[in-house]
Amino acid sequence: MNSGIDLQGSLIDTLKDFGLPPGVAKAIWLPLPMLLMIIGATVGVLVVVWLERKISAAAQQRIGPEFTGPLGVLQPVADGMKLVFKEDVVPARSDRWLFTLGPIVVVIPVFLSYLIVPFGQNLVITDLNVGIFLWIALSSIAPIGLLMSGYASNNKYSLLGGLRAAAQSISYEIPLAFSVLAIAMMSNSLSTIDIVEQQSGYGILGWNLWRQPVGFIIFWIAALAECERLPFDLPEAEEELVAGYQTEYAGMKFGLFYLGSYVNLVLSALIFAILYLGGWEFPIPLERLAGWLGVSETTPWLQIVTASLGIVMTLLKAYFLVFIAILLRWTVPRVRIDQLLNLGWKFLLPVSLANLLITAALKLAFPVAFGG
Amino acid sequence: MFNILKQVQDYAKESVQAAKYIGQGLSVTFDHMRRRPVTVQYPYEKLIPSERYRGRIHFEFDKCISCEVCVRVCPINLPVVDWKFDKAAKKKKLNHYSIDFGVCIFCGNCVEYCPTNCLSMTEEYELSAYDRHELNYDNVALGRLPYKVTQDPMVAPMRELGYLPKGVIDPHDLPSGSQRAGKRPEEIIEEMEKASSDQ
Amino acid sequence: MTLAEGVQIVSFGILAVMVLGSALGVVLLTNIVYSAFLLGGVFISIAGLYVLLNAEFVAAAQVLIYVGAVNVLILFAIMLVNKREDFSSIPRRWIRQGATGIVCFGLFALLGTMILITPWSLAPTSSAVIENSIVEIGKHFFSDFLLPFELASVLLLMAMVGAIILARRDIIPEVAIAKEREIVSTSLTLPERPREIASIGSSPTKEQ
Repeated sequence: MNSGIDLQGSLIDTLKDFGLPPGVAKAIWLPLPMLLMIIGATVGVLVVVWLERKISAAAQQRIGPEFTGPLGVLQPVADGMKLVFKEDVVPARSDRWLFTLGPIVVVIPVFLSYLIVPFGQNLVITDLNVGIFLWIALSSIAPIGLLMSGYASNNKYSLLGGLRAAAQSISYEIPLAFSVLAIAMMSNSLSTIDIVEQQSGYGILGWNLWRQPVGFIIFWIAALAECERLPFDLPEAEEELVAGYQTEYAGMKFGLFYLGSYVNLVLSALIFAILYLGGWEFPIPLERLAGWLGVSETTPWLQIVTASLGIVMTLLKAYFLVFIAILLRWTVPRVRIDQLLNLGWKFLLPVSLANLLITAALKLAFPVAFGG
Repeated sequence: MFNILKQVQDYAKESVQAAKYIGQGLSVTFDHMRRRPVTVQYPYEKLIPSERYRGRIHFEFDKCISCEVCVRVCPINLPVVDWKFDKAAKKKKLNHYSIDFGVCIFCGNCVEYCPTNCLSMTEEYELSAYDRHELNYDNVALGRLPYKVTQDPMVAPMRELGYLPKGVIDPHDLPSGSQRAGKRPEEIIEEMEKASSDQ
Repeated sequence: MTLAEGVQIVSFGILAVMVLGSALGVVLLTNIVYSAFLLGGVFISIAGLYVLLNAEFVAAAQVLIYVGAVNVLILFAIMLVNKREDFSSIPRRWIRQGATGIVCFGLFALLGTMILITPWSLAPTSSAVIENSIVEIGKHFFSDFLLPFELASVLLLMAMVGAIILARRDIIPEVAIAKEREIVSTSLTLPERPREIASIGSSPTKEQ
């Protein structure tokens, strides 16, 4: 296993060369990746919002945002500015504290989950050995925030939306966790780095997509439900619940919900790319190609090329999935609440359980192909 | 035992079918992505109203004989005709005339029945105002010449669906000489005259 | 003191204050919804303490199960049962309070002696320091803790079966239907499962 580029080590070494003590150097390094991740996630959201508006427009034969910046790329920024400067309305007889706390509780876990998203061998904030499990655990905090904001709004639609959101999120967490578990079983680890490593070496043929076709579909459905994307956007179904738990929100508090939902979408797409589409791997096995061409793995320019290609590949895969999600939004009508829960408990749960058992059996039977 | 198997089989079949239909739907949505936008970018592009468009009513003060037919045929007696009998000329003298377009339903009865044709329909439809009283047009406002889409240099005029050539549904980038489907009124009249002269 | 130690001490202090504060809030606040949300705070802070103890898996499981499932269920129960009821005074309530106090003090004393007895400091080279806790937990589950593990799973299975049986009551009791028909006999109503008539708002208490 090659170590690749070690940004942390080299930066700390550089700072030490300037005469700083190692503790201070480390302290200077510490906030950098976190800041980078927060900024990256926010920029990712801006891109997704723009994509969503443009692709939706194209699917409906419209033009979409056009006048703010070239092709309207600044439209999400304008939207964000508007939300920042809007009045912060707190409805009468609502619970002021819970009302403020709700959006925060929803947003923070989503941003925290970016800790485990790898963009390359060493391009990850922390390589925890609970990795993907942390994401599942953190995403289970969100329903509390939704319940909180639904309860605090002093509005029956908000309360119903919050309850629905929590119910939906609990029901789809289980198939999601089962399909992730099947992947973890195959790669003998929960760490995201190990999961990608296990898919590498054979290019597109090595990706988990081929070994876990059922899990692939279940994960996608459950991820859409977790993000409250359109076929499953019941908590904010306009026709029934006005806007669900966000009905009473305005200004930046609403902005936090908005941000949170899109960050969650990008995050789910990234995790999906990591679990099933080989993360930062290029469809052609680059290391082998380099080996055939006689270029050593440790050549600096090759490492830079593979690292940047890794980032590009991860983002490309994630945004392709976002594109599919947007397309699905304009294709599939919203399901009813009973259909939603039926699908979750009576279809996805048994199928994902069976998938898990079959994966275990295959792992015992063909340890070569299924990570023995 | 077999019953359960059959149930499972049916369920699986239904699931596969549902997946197939979702796939078909996705392909339709995806196909829409490469189509051109059908929308008209309003302040920069405007549709040319059709020939019989019933827009704002135009009024010619000098032609009016204050007969009040327009008031009588109006479903809500909307036009206000303020006249006085001029004893010297032994004629009605019109002082003011006004129509409130905030109330008017643009049915065109007044235009139809006006004996002197002093009322006519225009193709103007941009009547928005900050105050609803501004919509009460007096005879000066009614007498203004209507705005014409084709004469505005800021606006790209777009043809409506009925005025496009055969098989075309997009008004953007039409070739210059293209005509609408079917014969134009002039051509029909020409043919009719020809036929009558032949007989 | 290095950077890591400082961060550890500061975060331990913050987490300890959070645990104690929110736990006191759970017990002392009169609004039950606040108590439920603060309970979530307690669970999360305890998960933070687990992280400080290098037990990442336990911390994540704590968040997933206690915050994501148990606490959400508690909140659900509170929000769906929107019944405002005044406490009726119970005769000789002080016996209950006293018993609760004694039990709590006993538990506290037990845990306190446990804390004092246990030798906490571990050498970094000791075999009890575990690198990958998930693997160790798995090994223990399938070797020396097999029986409790299996018993717990059987218990959960039983609970699940019970829940399913409670949830799918397809059969409508005959008596109930007859009763329902007596009350509303219009042709527009469908036979429904009997349900309790929900009391709207705070109904006057009958006991008093």
